[in-house]
Amino acid sequence: MQEDKLIVETRQLCKNFGPTVALNNVSIKIYRGQITGLIGENGSGKSTITSILSGMQPPTSGEMFFKGKPHHPASMIEGAELGIGMIVQEQGTVPGISIAENIFLGEEKKFGKLFINRSAMIKEAQKALDAIGFTGVDASAPIESLNMQDRKLVEIAKTVYANPEVLVVDETTTALSQKGREIIYGIMRKMRDEDKAVIFISHDLEELMETCDTLTVLRDGVLITTLSKEEMNEDVIKRCMVGREMTGDYYRADFSEPISDEVVLRMKDVTTAFGMLMNFSMELHKGEILGIGGLSHCGMHELGKALFGEMKLLEGEVLDLRYNEPISSPKQALKRGYGYVSKDRDKEALVLTASIADNILAAGFDKIQRGPFLLPSDTKKYINGLIRDLSIKCASPKQDVQYLSGGNKQKVVFGKWVGRGCDILVLDCPTRGVDIGVKAAMYQLIDKMRREGKSIVMISEELTELIGMCDRLLVLKDGQLAGEFTHAGGMNENQIIDVMI
Amino acid sequence: MEQKIEAKTRKAPSKIDARLIGSLAPVAGLVLVVVVFSILTKGALLSASNLQALASSVITTAMCAIGAVFVFGAGYFDMSMGGSLCIAAVLGAKVMIASGSYFLGFVVILAISMVLAIIKGLLASYVNIPFFIFTIILSSIFSAVVLVIMGSETTISLASAAKAMRSFSFAEISVISVIVLALFFGFCLVMFNYTPLGVKAKNMGGNIISARQSGINTTSTTLTVFLMGGLGVALAALLLLMRTRTADASMGGTLGTDVMVALVLGGMPLSGGPRSKISAGLIGAVTITFLNSGLAIMGLTTGQIQATRGVVFIIVVLVSSLSYRGKLLPR
Repeated sequence: MQEDKLIVETRQLCKNFGPTVALNNVSIKIYRGQITGLIGENGSGKSTITSILSGMQPPTSGEMFFKGKPHHPASMIEGAELGIGMIVQEQGTVPGISIAENIFLGEEKKFGKLFINRSAMIKEAQKALDAIGFTGVDASAPIESLNMQDRKLVEIAKTVYANPEVLVVDETTTALSQKGREIIYGIMRKMRDEDKAVIFISHDLEELMETCDTLTVLRDGVLITTLSKEEMNEDVIKRCMVGREMTGDYYRADFSEPISDEVVLRMKDVTTAFGMLMNFSMELHKGEILGIGGLSHCGMHELGKALFGEMKLLEGEVLDLRYNEPISSPKQALKRGYGYVSKDRDKEALVLTASIADNILAAGFDKIQRGPFLLPSDTKKYINGLIRDLSIKCASPKQDVQYLSGGNKQKVVFGKWVGRGCDILVLDCPTRGVDIGVKAAMYQLIDKMRREGKSIVMISEELTELIGMCDRLLVLKDGQLAGEFTHAGGMNENQIIDVMI
Repeated sequence: MEQKIEAKTRKAPSKIDARLIGSLAPVAGLVLVVVVFSILTKGALLSASNLQALASSVITTAMCAIGAVFVFGAGYFDMSMGGSLCIAAVLGAKVMIASGSYFLGFVVILAISMVLAIIKGLLASYVNIPFFIFTIILSSIFSAVVLVIMGSETTISLASAAKAMRSFSFAEISVISVIVLALFFGFCLVMFNYTPLGVKAKNMGGNIISARQSGINTTSTTLTVFLMGGLGVALAALLLLMRTRTADASMGGTLGTDVMVALVLGGMPLSGGPRSKISAGLIGAVTITFLNSGLAIMGLTTGQIQATRGVVFIIVVLVSSLSYRGKLLPR
């Protein structure tokens, strides 16, 4: 590729969130007249690159160049002014105002200093909509008159109207139907033909291979490879996405024990009120690690909540076969020896302003209660024991959990359930945002619990840890079972991905 | 460079200092209020007669504020305690007059307080509206109910009881009040710090989702904290009746805001959660009472006192939200 076409370049770009490394020395070049695809598993760093480029957040270290000059946008507004437009996955329109006002949000000055010339604004907005081929809509109508997908198109019109030189499309197509997708593909091709650059992030291999001129694969914040159109091959891409060396006993070492026939928990025909778990059935055996995998929005997180009685069920039931009673509330699940680690640690699993002791006690006070009383000596012994067993790094049990690192926070959450000696643990992304060292410790802990005869449901977005840990793996797609794998029968990454996508 | 290192080393111990300052600040605030107003009132604040008057008003506010630590601690912003006290006291007084018995009157006061607490607890648990909206509505409903009960009467006096009721000397009532307050304070201290109730309430106030996912029964905890608040109100209403021997529609008029200001002055965030503490109710109640009294002695009108209290409240909220990094206001 001719170097005069180079528009964006990063050199050794790094981004850390606490101990978590999101980007590790990424050097990437983006050229004009090309659609550059970015692909990788969740958390591989795709969106981190584009958010740094657009000015949403600064890098931890490394350099960026835009049109040959050093690039340090302080905000998304500055990024947009420099010519970087971004269409994101989340909803970005403001309710309560018209379509035209949404398109010119923050740029009302264009239409008059004191009084805004509304008719001119509407006329211009109509032009912006026409320009992307979104016809048959009145720009003066309130934004609420459009459905979610059409609102996305309004955002696209807004971004394209600013005439950016680099357009970032970040997992936008999942929210769109075929018509919307065609519009977006059309815009991307048009921009390429106008000698501008497009960065396209997607989980959909097919559309990436169809649309992109080059495809860059990221894994764990590291740039693995960049493939040209000719080199793009489904198997190669998948291998690059997930293939990673497995070392020693990082995961579980021993798979020799056969799974017990005893079923402890049965979920039957469950449809959840939120999310999209549909008519789902599964069984959990004693002493097994059952993995649940799938892409985001496949219903696996709702499944976890449903198992703990924390999700309203429209149909079906979760039945504990040891006590032969349905699990319908967290309180009851707790009584029957269940534990639940939420994916959203800070919002759902911890009281951030509370001490380590208060957080752990929240789930374990009944274990050390004497009559109606909680004695300080018992509390201290219980908490200190857990801090020691889990090697939680802290100054004292009175320290607020908000000042702990991600890994240590997660250890506190584990402490809540380890202390109770739970028999059935539902872990939703237990190693999310946790560094490698703590990860290894968590895997060992989970394996230890399995050996003690506890049953563990491990929900994860990371295929490698599911393969490394689970006796059985259920893959979900669109709220339904898409495939089941057993360790004995072999778990092949490519086969699993095939089922997922 | 050298300066940087110095700044860093200075930062580490400052965290501990902040903690210590945080726990001593309420006491310092109390001392400050007493000293400033003693000077401003040329000692009148600490005169024997004024201290006598203060003692009784401290008892009422402290009783309610200590109970309120449970309610606010669990994350419920309750401004309707004054109304609850008024209804309980008026109905209690009516029963006392009819029966001539303090005991029967107290049974009624306690029953009414508990019923009101349960109503609040149910509203807070089952209706998905921020609770403080209810308390504003409840406050006006409560005062309307009192007016209906009172009918044409303006004051209910125990002197008109069917059987003559024992009146208590100032010394007697003071001793009784202090004993009751001390017992209640001790009871609450144990409940909050040495039983699971405190853990549950603090976790609920800190993060209700995490509390629920830890298996805490949020409904029963909610009911319990309101019952603790109701107990404080009931005891306060009884002591007030024993002392004044009268009840009227204006009882507990400023109690809602007094309790609120007391908790903040006592050093706990109104959003509740892990930083809640029983001592906040007691220390804060003493501070706000001295403040009210000092302002009154200085000859300020009721309106001026209200305005000054508002200013003090805002300052305290501002200062404490600086140190607690937000999270002072209710959810």
